[in-house]
Amino acid sequence: MSLYARLGGEPAFQTAVDIFYRRMLSDDRVARFFDDVDMEGQIAKQKAFLTFVTGGPAEYTGQDMRAAHAELVKLGIADEHVDVVIEHLGAVLTELGADAKDVGEVAALAESVRDQVLGR
Amino acid sequence: MLSLGAQEIPLLEGETVLEGLERSGVDVASGCRAGTCCKCMLRADSPPPESQSTLRPTLRAQGYFLACQARPEGRLTLHSAEAPTPVDTRVEEIEHVAEGVARILLRPSTPFPFRPGQYLDVLHPDGHARSYSIASLPSDGVLELHVREIPNGRVSGWLHGRVQGDDVRIRGAFGQCFHVADDPRKKLLLVGAGTGLAPLLGIARDALSQGHAGPIDLIHGGLEPGRLYLREELSRLAEQAPQLRIHHCVLRRATQHEHEGQLDELAVRLAGPLASVRAFLCGDGEIVHKLRRKLFLAGMPSAEILADPFLPAPA
Repeated sequence: MSLYARLGGEPAFQTAVDIFYRRMLSDDRVARFFDDVDMEGQIAKQKAFLTFVTGGPAEYTGQDMRAAHAELVKLGIADEHVDVVIEHLGAVLTELGADAKDVGEVAALAESVRDQVLGR
Repeated sequence: MLSLGAQEIPLLEGETVLEGLERSGVDVASGCRAGTCCKCMLRADSPPPESQSTLRPTLRAQGYFLACQARPEGRLTLHSAEAPTPVDTRVEEIEHVAEGVARILLRPSTPFPFRPGQYLDVLHPDGHARSYSIASLPSDGVLELHVREIPNGRVSGWLHGRVQGDDVRIRGAFGQCFHVADDPRKKLLLVGAGTGLAPLLGIARDALSQGHAGPIDLIHGGLEPGRLYLREELSRLAEQAPQLRIHHCVLRRATQHEHEGQLDELAVRLAGPLASVRAFLCGDGEIVHKLRRKLFLAGMPSAEILADPFLPAPA
């Protein structure tokens, strides 16, 4: 059974993505990257991302990640910002009831797209 | 069985609408095939409820559903995605209600289905089109628009020059910002700036006419007191409906009748607890963007924030 299913599937992730996005918008280290972003579209994308990294039904490719972050690379996103995302991701999953092993696995999966996100 | 225009597509045992359409060679977008990405969203008369469960209430109310999640029993009639046919209307009344703002009542010559708060396109005879929200109810028989005259605006200037009896061609209706009576006790928060009042007035009247019992807070913002219009009409509406509260907000020169400050900050302060509220946000893009973010950060679920921001006309 995927972590996605164990944590409650779609209804749980609708709430989780709100918590995740709220944390990102409230974190001064990354908030500026979201200033001009359409919130509704962004939340849909982040929900797909959370679904993907927890083994749920979502299609997400490295190419998507590269294209989605191309503008942000111009604005200066770097490794430290990816670290912030992985940190909040872990916190949200823990809040939903994931254990340390699950969080580690998700972090490793998120880690695997780091180069695409940063356009390397 | 699926109906799509003149085409009839039988579904195999256990097959989804998406699979059936693909098998028949119909070009249909899809992504995750698991109910998450929403790329395969289509519209039909009464789709199976389980194919709508993750969609917003406004989309459900309009018959949108996810083709990858739909296994209909019996016949499902799909809507085609073509643009609506233009409808001719006649100007019934035009009234200047504030500096640069006209309230225009149009009477359609043929039926024009819409939900209050949705918007329509006004089609200028030279081919330009601009969108305006609808402030009236279908039972009014007329379409009420609030039109702010934009400097050098092709369509707004033309509309301001219309007189009673003139012809105006429209098409629509469009948009996701309207009342859905799925919870009559829910608190509704309606926030708009300038002519963003139009859809809010439609939504508030619609909710009341459908028997909404929960509190409704309508917050209208403008630069200064003289820019806030239809105040008497709003007061009258609130007198008839005790659950409706009207708040006037301005950026400067507030009197005892207005709150003064940034609209997003006032909205959060006036709204109270936000966890089980549905919000409707209307006005220009920047204001709606700020309101949406502020309310979300203050604790409102993103799925309960409905907005059709007014976007600038294409150059």
